[in-house]
Amino acid sequence: MRALRLALAGALSATALTAATLATTAGATTSLKGCNTATYKTAGKLTVGTDNPVWEPWFSNNTPSNGEGYESAFTYALARKLGFTNAKVQWTTVPFDASYAPGVKSYDFDINEISYTPERAKTVAFSNSYYDVQQSVVVLKTSKYANVKTLAGLKNAKFGDQVGTTGMSYITKYIKPKTAPRAYNTLDLAVAALQSKQIDAIVVDTPTGNYMVNYQITTEAGDPLAKQIGQFKSVGEHYGVTFQKNSKLVACVNSAIAALKADGTLKRLATQYLSDYTSVPLLK
Amino acid sequence: MIELHNVHKQFDQRTVLHGVTLELQAHEVVCLLGSSGSGKSTLLRCINLLERIEQGDIIFRGQSLLDERIDVDLVRRHIGIVFQAFNLFPHLNVLDNITLGPLRALGRPRNEVESEARELLGRIGLGTRSDDYPDQLSGGQQQRVAIARALAMQPDVLLLDEVTSALDPTLVGEVLDLLSDLAIQGTTMLIATHEMQFARDVAHRVALLDAGRLVEVAPAKQFFDNPSQPETIDFLSRVPKTQ
Amino acid sequence: MAPSTQNSGPGAPHLFVARHRRFGSSQHARWASIASTISVIGVLAFALWMAPGGKAVREFFLSPSHAWRAFIGDPSEGLSAIWRGFLTNIWMFIVCEILVLIFGLLIAVVRMSSSPILTPLRILSTVYTDFFRGIPVILVLFAVGYGMPGMDLGWISQQSPAVYACIALTITYSAYVAEVYRAGINSVATNQLVAARAIGLRQGATMRYVVLPQAIRNVIPPLLNDFISLQKDTALVSTLGIVDATQAAHIYGSLNFNFAGYTVASLLFLLLTIPMTRLTDRLIDRDRSKRLAFVS
Repeated sequence: MRALRLALAGALSATALTAATLATTAGATTSLKGCNTATYKTAGKLTVGTDNPVWEPWFSNNTPSNGEGYESAFTYALARKLGFTNAKVQWTTVPFDASYAPGVKSYDFDINEISYTPERAKTVAFSNSYYDVQQSVVVLKTSKYANVKTLAGLKNAKFGDQVGTTGMSYITKYIKPKTAPRAYNTLDLAVAALQSKQIDAIVVDTPTGNYMVNYQITTEAGDPLAKQIGQFKSVGEHYGVTFQKNSKLVACVNSAIAALKADGTLKRLATQYLSDYTSVPLLK
Repeated sequence: MIELHNVHKQFDQRTVLHGVTLELQAHEVVCLLGSSGSGKSTLLRCINLLERIEQGDIIFRGQSLLDERIDVDLVRRHIGIVFQAFNLFPHLNVLDNITLGPLRALGRPRNEVESEARELLGRIGLGTRSDDYPDQLSGGQQQRVAIARALAMQPDVLLLDEVTSALDPTLVGEVLDLLSDLAIQGTTMLIATHEMQFARDVAHRVALLDAGRLVEVAPAKQFFDNPSQPETIDFLSRVPKTQ
Repeated sequence: MAPSTQNSGPGAPHLFVARHRRFGSSQHARWASIASTISVIGVLAFALWMAPGGKAVREFFLSPSHAWRAFIGDPSEGLSAIWRGFLTNIWMFIVCEILVLIFGLLIAVVRMSSSPILTPLRILSTVYTDFFRGIPVILVLFAVGYGMPGMDLGWISQQSPAVYACIALTITYSAYVAEVYRAGINSVATNQLVAARAIGLRQGATMRYVVLPQAIRNVIPPLLNDFISLQKDTALVSTLGIVDATQAAHIYGSLNFNFAGYTVASLLFLLLTIPMTRLTDRLIDRDRSKRLAFVS
């Protein structure tokens, strides 16, 4: 199955292009701080975990290995910095809940839009930020909340979200709605609830929300049915890859991320995959 | 009261009743004798329309019960039947067993039905047991309750199907005594039984059923002292003499 | 050999005295059972304590501070209280149970009626029980919970997910319970039917006053078993976004990377189901001793 996916991915010209770009920008192996003691799960390979399904714009076509989407592209860029060729990157499916369960991990790190929180950091190790994220509110265009511009204006709305996402905390922390938010096991169930008008609004990170309104919640002809009415002001929330607690890889990956930040790779990837979100207004 | 004309009944290929003809007058007690399997129970169940007959006719109060417009539930309210195995309702106490029919089949008012039932219980000697459940009673007591349950419907005729056969011998007497009392009071009864002495003492007429054929019907004294049919003589010779 | 055997006179074989009496008395037996229970629990506890990952697993599932925080919740952090979620489980269970008892009975009675007028309904109820006993509850939950609101049928489509969840659970469990009732109705002796018809009770009255009271009494233990399943299956309503005890635990788990909330939810469910299982066992035992009494 994986072999088939790789073959398909290779057939797409866009993929080939991206891979080529990655290869040139990442360059040869640099000796990074903290990497001399680093050990990998499988020698000579970088094993990366993520969930299945994975979502746009972080991944593309539910295929992490195609180098498309912000997190996939970032992972390959990171791998080059660590001295791996694209072929040496191995993906493995790790459900979100399994990424923080105790026990020995089968991967070197997990990447799955996981927000850093001090509580979570007690159980797993986080890398530094590879993306600073803001949360946004998505409603249907026909909703009575479609033109709301303030947090206070959303007090009476019925919220729903994927279970255990930070978006859920934003709802109860900053909006404090009259009706308790609903928690769906997956994001697509929350979207289904929004479309069937069971809930009025979803809080989701701005890039994901952007993808939702532009590509996911649309008519058959592709016209958007939903609207991102605004985003919360930044509170320093950021995504990090997670490691098994006390992993020796953390320092090494952090210096690789620093290098990707310094050479402009992260900014370029964000522009390529997450550009649209800057136009979303701030909720007051 | 009831007339049976040439009644035939088959189960699958086996003929159980071969053209039985019998008439039961009001206030008459007829005992139905016959060895096991001779068709006594089947005959009673046919009269109560618990079984459908294939041929012949059953006339009750001048009306054919085989008429398609007959409401069998209505007929059964006028023809009471008591079974060998009592068949009391185990989840109801004695009083409720007796009042269920009058309340739910006849739709009569509860206070009226209950006072009648208590009177009935007094008559069968169980006036103090109205709150007991069937499994707290002896077999004889249960059978008396079953008879009271049938009587509570104030039926025109009472059919009794070997009501003492399942009882411990020491308990048979109390049930037979009750039936004797009913006979004296003028209750119309058709009684299938093995109790010869009882039949001789209580029945106006006695009938013998042999392999589904009614071979002899005669007044009790004549039946026992001077039977006319060879089957009757044979039957009476096989049962132990009773006092 | 026990001393008593030695003291007995010659030529008096003790046929019924066990040669190797492990437990000479009930006192011994009790001590033996206590000792074996303690040692089994001890081995399990030891494994949990001494396993290489034991400490991590204990912290992950049993941390008292996490458990308490999950139990009381913290709205400012987006944490729903598990106890509050559990109230949802309880009321859903109660409402569904009542509905299931009613619908299950209706289906069973229709299915067993012999009236020709009810033939279409009878076929329908047979198809119904076959169909819904064969489909996983969670699929029915999805179909009702996302299908009915999606149909845009006005009032029908504007109910809360809790209502849809109740509908889905009732649909499925009514099918199970109808079969339990049917078994109970079949278990009532034919002579009871005959006795009822003999006093002129109509079919409906026979069913209501004679058959059902006995049938239901016979099926109380299996009914309670189904209710224990129903209690646990209220956890499935989380798929419709309802924050019940398990979903509250899930939220806590993903935001804090700790599963102690699941342990709390399990304990709450046990609090509810254990009295029910005990009661069921008691009723089954009582029923059995009653039957044995008939045999002797």
